[in-house]
Amino acid sequence: MVNGLNLAFQYLQGFSVLVLAAVGLAIIFGIMGVINLAHGEFIMVGAYATVFGYHDLGLPLVASMALAVGVTAAFGMVVERLLIKRTYGRLFDSMVVTLGLSLVLSQGMLVLRGTSEPSVPTPFGTISYGAFSQSVYRVALALAAVAVLVGVYWLFTRTEYGIRARATIQDEGTARALGVRTERVYSTTFAIGSALAGLAGALLAPIVSVTPTMGGTYLVKSFVVVVVGGPSVVLGTGLSGGLLGAVDAVVTNVYGQTAGSIVLLVVTVVVIRFFQDGVTGFTDRVRDRLAREGT
Amino acid sequence: MTVLSLDGVTAGYGSTPVLREIDLAIEAGEIVGVVGKNGVGKTTLMKTVTGLLEPTAGTITYDGRDVTGLTADARARSGIGYIPQGRDIFPDLTVEQNLRMGEHVNADGDVTRYEEVYDLFPVLEERAGQDGGTLSGGQQQMLAIGRALVGDPDLLLLDEPSEGVQPSIVDQISEDIRAINDELGTTVLFVEQNLGVIQTMADRCYAMERGTIVDELTSAEIADEDAIASHLAI
Amino acid sequence: MGTDAFPTGVLGRFEGPNTVGSGTRFWAALAVTVVALLAYPSVVGPFAAGQLTRYLVSAFLALSLAFVWGYAGILSFGQNAFYGLSGYAFAVVVGNLASPLGTTVGVGVAILFGALSALVLGYFMFYGGVRDVYVTITTLVVTIVLNTYGKTASQVFVGSVNLGGDTGVGIGEITLGAGPATYTLVQPATYYVIVAVLLATYLGLRALVNSDFGRVMVAIREDEDRAEMLGYDVKFRKLVVFTIGGGIAGLGGVTYMAWGYSITPEVVFSAAAAAYPVVWVSVGGRKTLSGPIVAAVAIEWLRTTASVQFPEFAKIGVGVLMIASILLLPDGVVPGLRGASRYFDRHGLADGSRLAIDRARRAVGRRVGGPIAVDESSEVVQE
Repeated sequence: MVNGLNLAFQYLQGFSVLVLAAVGLAIIFGIMGVINLAHGEFIMVGAYATVFGYHDLGLPLVASMALAVGVTAAFGMVVERLLIKRTYGRLFDSMVVTLGLSLVLSQGMLVLRGTSEPSVPTPFGTISYGAFSQSVYRVALALAAVAVLVGVYWLFTRTEYGIRARATIQDEGTARALGVRTERVYSTTFAIGSALAGLAGALLAPIVSVTPTMGGTYLVKSFVVVVVGGPSVVLGTGLSGGLLGAVDAVVTNVYGQTAGSIVLLVVTVVVIRFFQDGVTGFTDRVRDRLAREGT
Repeated sequence: MTVLSLDGVTAGYGSTPVLREIDLAIEAGEIVGVVGKNGVGKTTLMKTVTGLLEPTAGTITYDGRDVTGLTADARARSGIGYIPQGRDIFPDLTVEQNLRMGEHVNADGDVTRYEEVYDLFPVLEERAGQDGGTLSGGQQQMLAIGRALVGDPDLLLLDEPSEGVQPSIVDQISEDIRAINDELGTTVLFVEQNLGVIQTMADRCYAMERGTIVDELTSAEIADEDAIASHLAI
Repeated sequence: MGTDAFPTGVLGRFEGPNTVGSGTRFWAALAVTVVALLAYPSVVGPFAAGQLTRYLVSAFLALSLAFVWGYAGILSFGQNAFYGLSGYAFAVVVGNLASPLGTTVGVGVAILFGALSALVLGYFMFYGGVRDVYVTITTLVVTIVLNTYGKTASQVFVGSVNLGGDTGVGIGEITLGAGPATYTLVQPATYYVIVAVLLATYLGLRALVNSDFGRVMVAIREDEDRAEMLGYDVKFRKLVVFTIGGGIAGLGGVTYMAWGYSITPEVVFSAAAAAYPVVWVSVGGRKTLSGPIVAAVAIEWLRTTASVQFPEFAKIGVGVLMIASILLLPDGVVPGLRGASRYFDRHGLADGSRLAIDRARRAVGRRVGGPIAVDESSEVVQE
């Protein structure tokens, strides 16, 4: 029973980290088709901004996190204007450019601030059961992850930007010919994706060590979630985070961290091969087929 | 007043030009057709006028301004409504959301024509909350037209409005376009192969062959089956 | 192909539209380069020659990626996987068959292992319908998995050889041959052998790329669907290309062992290591073969020197280089330089510069929204 609770908490954290890290990438990849290999570094920037706000500016934690989101969003807008825009339509070139950016950012941060940052306190305290105690923050994180998914859903179904973005994904040429400013849709999308990455970094700052190279692991995790998730941003990221979080938690619990990472990666490759468009792509096709057979 | 004119427009994909030295002019309030067989470049012409394709030579003047270098969305926002071949409605957006996407046309005006669109096509109001992809071909055509009209465009572009639509709806649509032109004064430019549509809608029309304009037909000549048949695959 | 005249006969097979450089000027330059390379150790001494050997090993990796990416459109982060696997295979065979014959066989086995791994992965991907960016992601994931596994495989034995986890595997010496006829490969002989093998590989690829096979590869790179519709078996051809690429990477793995005598997972399988070939090929020019070789050697030399002098800035420099090369010279440095020299040939220095600045100004103007002000101001700008 107690071990089950431990596993549950572990799972919650795994799930939250996967979802929070991946959602920004999912939006950018889903709408723009751009692979931002510096995504992990955007998360890192969010974490650093939070620490900076808290330790250097003396802001309360929440304000530091808000600062982090703002900073990363602004940074994303600059990157989009200067780098991404110039490689539209050239997918591999955008990968190379963002890979270069990731090197510059991670090394740059190392030069600027050194190998690690002081930590930020974990709010909300702990709850104990038996001989174990768990940080309540883990639960808060899971709630945050769900809230983000709900927020993204609302963004794409209820706001003008969201409708424009979906129109642009479905048929960019027609959207443009109707007068939709697709370029602005892309810039806004990249800013939102960056802001979400910054949020992930901010939320992670209290529980992970903030280092210049922390981005790498989150990039891989985000990729895995996005690839397995498929085209639907909200459902895909949610389901994929849930599924992969479970796999990771179970495998890590039994076989250790390394095995957990390897299994996740293998699952990714298998999904890429057998479920072209990830989980939601698969469900979409099943749904279509059922609909057709029904008529 | 000349709403739209093309002077010496040449355009294509890659190194071979599809359109060669196109010259045409549309006056306000006219319905002008461009007729031609498959492959002469009708859709390419439409794409060049909307701005989805950049011409390699020539100028496009709209409302007195040179819009040749303008992006497609900027052109649309100057008052050009576009109904693509194959409708190209957004399948995963609702009917109402599709129509909203048309509001960007005429960005400087506050006029929206939802009432007129729903009067013309009541089925759109009935199915406002349904996804565009669930509509029939004819209904999608209505949605595409409604979407182009919602923002009160000055110029309407139609690319083969009859393609893929059943004959009874085609007749209805041709009459609807005429009605729109009568009531709202919207200028219309369309490309077509369907004889019936041309005869119903066009005040006059250009004939295209292998990428250039080869003839101009008056309404009398359009009504004459032989004159116009020679420019089609009949 | 410009003003260079095609020599007919033998040299003609090595020239064509798919590679940069042709005619007497090119071949003369190549000959001079080869002579310089051969003279290098005598001029600079064994240590510098040893350094250059390392960079030339990277050139194999660069060639292997240039081949699959530049000519078949497959951006692979997996060349390092085949390179590393081949290095490990060589160490395993040499360790188990501790004899000159065994080492000789090991060379072949290692290269074949590189090619075979590529064949298996390629089959899995291409015949599984994995497209474009997902191919890239898969190759990256495979390489990372090898790294993750390799670092933990500390008591895993293949025959009598311990894979060694993150300390890896080493070999003693490389003695080739059989029976009484043996030869021990040491510096500077290693250097000369590697130069010779690199040259042979380069020329071989050049001939391949300019042949009918190469033309189809380029067609596939440009438009896969159209190539398919023209009747080419695209999946098979991609598989062939990928396998050859794996073989070349495998060859690189063997030369790596010949240079360094040891291998660890981090050096070959890490994500950072997998990214470097992408840097070399982007900067050097991915639609050429010579560009990536030059870029690999130059960048590796720069990086090693910089790591010594300015360790923190080395990686930043590489990152900036990648960004700059894609934005400013999307086809790479070699085609860029060639284009630049042709351009100034045609226009002369003064006129050419003026024209270039004009063109750049117009290009920047178009990117930020067009020369004509739009709706908000409704002004007409006279062209």
